[in-house]
Amino acid sequence: MTDRASLLSPTRRRLLRATSAFTALALLATLAGPAATLADDAKKEGGDITFLIDSLGDTWIPNNSAISSFQGHIWGHVADKLVYVDAQGQASPWIAERWEQNATATEFTLHLKQGVTFSDGTPVDATAVIANLDIWSAGRKKEGINPIFLFPKTYERAEAVDAATVKVFFKKPTLGLIPTLGYHGSILISPKTIAQPATEQADLSKSSGSGPYIVESWKEGDHVTLTKRKDYNWGPAAVGHTGPAFLDTITYKLVSEPSLRIASVQSGQADVAYNASPQELSSLKDEGFTVATPRYLGFVNGLAINTKLAPYDDVKVRQALQAGINRQEIIDTVYTPDWKLATSFIQSNVPGATDHSDLLVYNPEKAEKLLDEAGWVKGADGVRTKDGKPLLLTLHSNPYLAASKSIDELISQQLGKIGWKVVIRAYDVVTFGEKVKFGGVAVPAYEVTRSFIDAGTVAGILTNANNGENWFALDERDTVINDLRDKIASADTLDARAPLLDALQKYVLEQGYFIPRTEIVQRIYVQSPALKGEVYNGVAYASYYTATKSEVGQ
Amino acid sequence: MTLLSTATAAHLAPTRRRAALPPLPVVLSLVFVALVIAWSLVPGLFTGHDPIAGVPADKLLGPSLAHWFGTDHLGRDLFARVVFGSASSVTSALIAVVIGVLAGGLIGLVAGFLGGWVDTVLARFVDVLLAIPKFLLAVIVVTAIGFDTINAAIATGVSAVAVFARVMRSEVIKTREATFVEASFLSGGSRWHILLRHVLPNASRSVLPLGVLHFGDSILVIASLAFLSYGDPPPASDWGLLISIGKDYPKWPWLVYAPALVTIATVLSVNRISRWLRTTD
Amino acid sequence: MNSAYLTYAGKRLAQAAIVILLAYVFTFVVVSILPGDPITSVLRNPQNGFSEEEIAQIVAAQGLDRPVLEQLWSSLSGFLTGDLGLSMRSHRPVTTMIAEVLPSTLILATSALFLALVLAVVVAYGTQVLPKRYGQGLLRAFPSLFLSVPNFVIGLVLIHLFGFQLGLFRVINPDSAWATFFAAVTLAIPISAQIAEVLIASLDHEADQDYIAVARGRGLRPFRLFTRHLLKPSSLPVVTVIALTIGELLGGSLITETVFGRTGIGSHVQRSVSTQDLPVLQAVVSLAAVVFVLANLIADLVYPLLDPRVKLLGARTPRSPASKPAGASAP
Repeated sequence: MTDRASLLSPTRRRLLRATSAFTALALLATLAGPAATLADDAKKEGGDITFLIDSLGDTWIPNNSAISSFQGHIWGHVADKLVYVDAQGQASPWIAERWEQNATATEFTLHLKQGVTFSDGTPVDATAVIANLDIWSAGRKKEGINPIFLFPKTYERAEAVDAATVKVFFKKPTLGLIPTLGYHGSILISPKTIAQPATEQADLSKSSGSGPYIVESWKEGDHVTLTKRKDYNWGPAAVGHTGPAFLDTITYKLVSEPSLRIASVQSGQADVAYNASPQELSSLKDEGFTVATPRYLGFVNGLAINTKLAPYDDVKVRQALQAGINRQEIIDTVYTPDWKLATSFIQSNVPGATDHSDLLVYNPEKAEKLLDEAGWVKGADGVRTKDGKPLLLTLHSNPYLAASKSIDELISQQLGKIGWKVVIRAYDVVTFGEKVKFGGVAVPAYEVTRSFIDAGTVAGILTNANNGENWFALDERDTVINDLRDKIASADTLDARAPLLDALQKYVLEQGYFIPRTEIVQRIYVQSPALKGEVYNGVAYASYYTATKSEVGQ
Repeated sequence: MTLLSTATAAHLAPTRRRAALPPLPVVLSLVFVALVIAWSLVPGLFTGHDPIAGVPADKLLGPSLAHWFGTDHLGRDLFARVVFGSASSVTSALIAVVIGVLAGGLIGLVAGFLGGWVDTVLARFVDVLLAIPKFLLAVIVVTAIGFDTINAAIATGVSAVAVFARVMRSEVIKTREATFVEASFLSGGSRWHILLRHVLPNASRSVLPLGVLHFGDSILVIASLAFLSYGDPPPASDWGLLISIGKDYPKWPWLVYAPALVTIATVLSVNRISRWLRTTD
Repeated sequence: MNSAYLTYAGKRLAQAAIVILLAYVFTFVVVSILPGDPITSVLRNPQNGFSEEEIAQIVAAQGLDRPVLEQLWSSLSGFLTGDLGLSMRSHRPVTTMIAEVLPSTLILATSALFLALVLAVVVAYGTQVLPKRYGQGLLRAFPSLFLSVPNFVIGLVLIHLFGFQLGLFRVINPDSAWATFFAAVTLAIPISAQIAEVLIASLDHEADQDYIAVARGRGLRPFRLFTRHLLKPSSLPVVTVIALTIGELLGGSLITETVFGRTGIGSHVQRSVSTQDLPVLQAVVSLAAVVFVLANLIADLVYPLLDPRVKLLGARTPRSPASKPAGASAP
């Protein structure tokens, strides 16, 4: 991560100039690292790169595909966002040059950069931004255009003050708006595209964004080729470059076999391979390839426990589970040292995350003691039983995380030693969505992979108030967590919110509600050494807007 | 669906009589199949390693005396996984064949024996099944009933129903029209008697070698379904699944080659036995 | 062309149409057994985080909560008027999607069929002319061996050998000539085995005939004997087996295209299956049925040209489904 510090640092100085609700964060950010600026003219122009990807998703309707792990890469180059959120979760200006909010966080005023246009010639003005806000919030469900889930549900309306100023109104305080505008779902699309029916929007070549690249050609399930937009000069200051991109074209090519993606990059047939098998990373590094394992802002990879289901209604059993998992062994066996031990149930790079690794120490003796106390007796076959029932844990491997099955198999070995009987079920994406739900009757543990932008939304997701997801099936039973949730929601400054978030993290881990496995790296990049200067944003997507490719090294 | 009646492949095969002792390749095939069957019945006799729990520190070791096929990405002995996986691979192929033979055989028997509109309706149904490529059919069926090995076996069996139905039907018609059956009719034998005494034994003679052949074929289809991840999830160790997992680790090629070779050897042996059965018939 | 022929042809066409229509309905029924639908499954992606209420709203807006029979009726009436509908996954017209990828699959399938034929004839020729003891036994084992190797293993080995080790083709450009060739080889191997098996058996049968012995006695050279006297009558069962395996080309393309990263009908099916994209699956299944039915129709018409001993439209009824070689077939 250190090699990117030089690219990120201009952000931090620029942040100071942003009159935003995030001055506190900006101040924090300036403390990090010495500043160094990269001169644009030192960079090499031109070059074409090929990015091998395991899927190109389903539909290309912008609203439905922007959050895709795969299509998000393309949208990130084709479309801009109002706000830029970097890998540390810092929001900085992009198409919105600056913003203000009222004291209750219910009205926001966005001041737009002038002279920005979509690739179809339409200006990126107040009208265009309002059209985008409206479709993010509501979608057009009849046509199959979904709303953007993370867009605040408290959205009321937006109005144009003048051509370059938009005022956004919310029904309730919405502290998370600004970071959400930098989330991968919030891409700015030409109002002409938005007005098209869904079947037209599904044709990628007919969609226009204002990004540094435009779609040159595409074929469903095969490839997307992007070509540089020469008049682009409104890049996010945070990445240290605002002019046109350096690389001429970027081709996203679908190669579904992981081994073929890697071998193609190794043999110089392609420049980047997405989602490599973690096992191969160390040898690839030895061969001189760049390996990037950026972490997104969100929850760590772990298990949300269903507290309604016996025996996980017993806090001792949950705590035994927390102590019975050897997280270091997961990293040593399944992953590489690029993965980090979880220190909380949210990723350590999220602003507001605090270190609770003392609660996540591997201690099989403690786990066995807790199980003994809870009345689970080890039988001759090593499996603990109570009232004739074996100590059973069913794990449903998350189909969205490549190494999930291997980790479950390893956890099954670890828990087996202290008397657990672990059953692993691995479903495909469709069946998983059908059968595995938070708090489901046959789902003692739900394996979480979820990104978010603002830690303030976490408490709401964990509990069931206001359309929350009730991850631990607590309903209204746990007053401590509900109290913390309400206090976090009503906090009006980040300083006031921080200790509450810390208390929430400690409580959830102590109670064994959430069993972290490791910090999540959902996107793994293996890259040719000739390609340099890419930037990873807050949701771990690689942007090649700032990247260059040298001829040597091939 | 076709105008004319040519002999089936089975009958085109050379009809030279074999000596009492099967040729060497057949003996080797029988020995190998026996070994695989033994693996699936008592896997514990063949390996001291645990197929599920490995030693994470010993991951991805090459083949050696301690680990004949090496170890996988979680430090599990691959030979143990192949041996313990044979039960599932053999059973699933068996299920597929049984479904194909029973369902297909029944359809063919009923159609051929009853004739008339029953035959017409069943023939159309079989035509539909036959018109959909076998593997496509298997993929669609396994999607419909859910992804696991038993379902993959059922799907494979369903995709073979049409072939068995056709062969059975033609054999039934042939036998029914044979002089000794007509004679039996004339001498007042009951339909059931004729069916069980004459038609079924005669027809099954050509269906059984086909069933053996399909056993090998089913292993491949089920492995292919596993390759597309429509089979059991890990830590199951069906051979197809082992190959499919192994392909993600190209640096450690034995993870693909060992289970692939066992699969190929098994299918080859079964095919050889089927051929021998046909020619010694 | 007598009237009996026309009646027969009409009957055959009607049968074919029924088979295709039933295949379409069959797919609908099988896929409809499934709980859920592609839209719900996409919405349930945990990254989306939609609540069940929101999902229900969106599904209802798409008309997916209508009774199954109503959905079947609207789908079927669309099919009859040539409208294959919109893909539930990509929201694009199915016809456009299929037309986009059909050429790639056609190229793969025809080259594979051609390679399979060449391979089968070469192997079969060898079994007739090579010395009985050594070469023959080996060649006779070939079809069996070809049928025993999983298709994807062949593909993976070819890619690593010729794509990476020898650098003959770029894996990321699967439509290049060499890449297409090796994909076709992968697909051709099991098909060629089936053809070779039937061809060898038929050649052996013909070789035992008296007229061959006579020809051999006259000192006819083996190649001439093979092409002149053996190949032509033996090609009859070959035509049958080709007509039967033509569907397997499409089935096999599912794996071959996935392994080689080609975008074609097969890879579309794989994606549609995992997302239950019914309109695409129905379109592909009916397409496969059309190809299969046509191939068999053509095979029937070609027969009399190949073997004068066959009389077209004899007294026998055209219903003799079990007449075809029921040999092995591989995925």
